[in-house]
Amino acid sequence: MAPLQFSLELSETFLLLFALLTGIAFGMFLEKAGFGNARKLVQQFYNTDMAMFKVLFSAIVTAMLGIYWLSYFGVLDITQIYINATFIWPQVIGGIVFGLALCSRDSVRVPPV
Amino acid sequence: MNKRKTYPYWNPYIVGVGIGLLIILSFVVTGRGLGAVGAFNGIIASLVHAIAPDYALSKGAYSTYLSGVEHPLKDWVVIEIAGVCIGGLFSGIVSGRFKFEVIKGPGISNVTRLIFAFSGGLLMAFAAKFTRGCTSGLALSGGSVLSPGAWLFRISVFIGGYSVAGIMKKALN
Repeated sequence: MAPLQFSLELSETFLLLFALLTGIAFGMFLEKAGFGNARKLVQQFYNTDMAMFKVLFSAIVTAMLGIYWLSYFGVLDITQIYINATFIWPQVIGGIVFGLALCSRDSVRVPPV
Repeated sequence: MNKRKTYPYWNPYIVGVGIGLLIILSFVVTGRGLGAVGAFNGIIASLVHAIAPDYALSKGAYSTYLSGVEHPLKDWVVIEIAGVCIGGLFSGIVSGRFKFEVIKGPGISNVTRLIFAFSGGLLMAFAAKFTRGCTSGLALSGGSVLSPGAWLFRISVFIGGYSVAGIMKKALN
């Protein structure tokens, strides 16, 4: 029963190697989506390129469905997985600041990519 | 490099499903999703510890990442982010997109652009400390396991971004 880290008592070396490999795959996916380019990212906020929205939500929906069905069939024990804690006001205000900072970081006039 | 073919970006839905499968795999193996900004907690804590060890150990914001661990950099999220850099670089090179460039509008100098990029980055890191996570660790991984805070954060990021996008576009180009 997953998470395998607990049921198989995976070694630290294995977990670090796993982290490296998932990181490499994650980095490649992000670059392939065009998120290595501020011009591409910022267009989300100009509504001229919805790639960020599409990637984020298709990833979330995929992961949600996968986690739900794995849990339903008893493969993954969701009581053992990490669920981010909620702090309402810090996350609301921090989120707004994060969003406008993201815009400051990436703001460029955009010819179509 | 200029003569090499540049491959187009992948379909965003395909990338999204790929990242989603990666998150599922990560939860199945480790019980956690993916992260990003957490890597800097370990890096900053180890830097502060190198300069002022007593101060670092007396402040909870740093000591959390120092006590009870072999080394603050020997942490899954630090290694994962090293992997993200390698993966992104590799993908950029094989897709013919690798180059040095300051991406900016025509009416702004390189220096101004870099100052705004840097200060935006600073502010993002600052905000991510309040929210206990960024777009990867909180919005993406936390959103997948239906953490209410993750969804509040995601909505707030879009509110923040959209509210200043128009002004920024005029002011910074």
